[in-house]
Amino acid sequence: MNDNLHIFESLKHYPLTIQFVWALSCLFFIFIILLTIYLKYLRSHLRVNEKKEAKYQEVYESHLVTYLYAGNDNEVFSSEQQVIINELKKDVADPFKRKIIISTLLKLRSEISGEIGESIDKLYIKLGLLRYSLAKLRNKKWDVIATGIRELTQFKIKAVHKMVLNNINHPKREVRKEMQLYLVHLYGFNGLEFLNVLETPLSEWDQIQLLEILQLNNDTQVADIKPWLNSSNDSIVIFALKLAKVYNQFEAKEELITLLNHNSEDVRINVISALSHLHLFEATTILKNNFSERSEEEQIAFLKMMENVYEASDKPFLLEHVHHKNSEIRLSIMEILKNINFEEYTLYDDDIKKILTA
Amino acid sequence: MSTIKKIVLAEDNSVLSLLLKFRLEKEGYKLLIAVNGKQAIELIEEYNPELILTDIMMPFVSGLEVISHVRNKLNLQTPIIVFSSAGQEEIVIKAFDLGATDFMSKPFSPHELVIRIKRLLL
Repeated sequence: MNDNLHIFESLKHYPLTIQFVWALSCLFFIFIILLTIYLKYLRSHLRVNEKKEAKYQEVYESHLVTYLYAGNDNEVFSSEQQVIINELKKDVADPFKRKIIISTLLKLRSEISGEIGESIDKLYIKLGLLRYSLAKLRNKKWDVIATGIRELTQFKIKAVHKMVLNNINHPKREVRKEMQLYLVHLYGFNGLEFLNVLETPLSEWDQIQLLEILQLNNDTQVADIKPWLNSSNDSIVIFALKLAKVYNQFEAKEELITLLNHNSEDVRINVISALSHLHLFEATTILKNNFSERSEEEQIAFLKMMENVYEASDKPFLLEHVHHKNSEIRLSIMEILKNINFEEYTLYDDDIKKILTA
Repeated sequence: MSTIKKIVLAEDNSVLSLLLKFRLEKEGYKLLIAVNGKQAIELIEEYNPELILTDIMMPFVSGLEVISHVRNKLNLQTPIIVFSSAGQEEIVIKAFDLGATDFMSKPFSPHELVIRIKRLLL
């Protein structure tokens, strides 16, 4: 005790800065001790919760499987199913248990289709879980809203699409994405109607995901893409061009050709790619006429298109640009000239080497 | 007296394993469940099952490695059904190259799986 007092006494004689540093060090030391105690408590609490969660998960998995195979041939729930429903309904009121029940249902629902998948959907509604998912849509936190929409998607709840559509221009991208996936998963091409009112950009990744879902849906009733080709939202135009390619939308030929003069270079490049894929080669005349006015990226895209549709009559056009300053363009032109079976090609070997290495 | 046919199921989704175990044991098969590819190989070596069901994406050892081990190391001709998710078409082709017998893409119908199993184990 006397030693401690001596330390404090001697500290008083040190400069103020040293005293301040010592005080700060002591404070940090105490803070670290308290933090360590708190972290130890938190870790043991989380471990206890983990064990509890694992135990409940096992119980609910067993209940779910028993429920799925306890059904009878008619639509009514069997007595065994009713017992399980009543037991699960009690646990649904507890948020901790409800979260585990939903995750168990989802874990199986994403792997199973057919009658058993539909049984899981019915169980989800029978347990009253729909109410909780809808409540999530009204939450202020964006991640809760996104989770709610995802649950509605996975359990294929169609009746609430108007509530989901309210999030069409939600400030958070994750919420908008979940809403879009909900609509397309459940309604196929009809679900793409949100494109008519979407004001925010549709990212490349979102477009890829939407296309994948549409292709998995095997919906043969392809939507009319013409309104989307005229959208003021460039990302929607680009998505519509992707749809045109994947679903061979030859009916949109006039709109596609008009888009060759779109303000956005990105759109123009995608249009050339779509026209090439659809073999709509009427556009080559337009593109040849204003080739020099187009950007290099567009010129490259056009030449890629020409690689599939060259004619002997293209020779003068190609020769006109064979000394282009961009080496990729020069190479493309030489490839096309070679493919035209340009009989003079070999006579220009030295010139060709100079052009390529210029 | 016919012996009970053994099936090894390599699947890390516990509730799906439980469901398939319930269904297939009702059909009269004995199901041995592995939660990863390493466990699956151990069960195959120990029990020499009549059929193998394997997911592709699993911890430690993948479904492709299981197929390769069964065909190339153990030299077994046991029918193997592979479960794949959407977007794994190229991996399914690799699985067939390695010797898989059939595949089912997820989500799948357990009813359809049972029909395929019965056909393979005739």
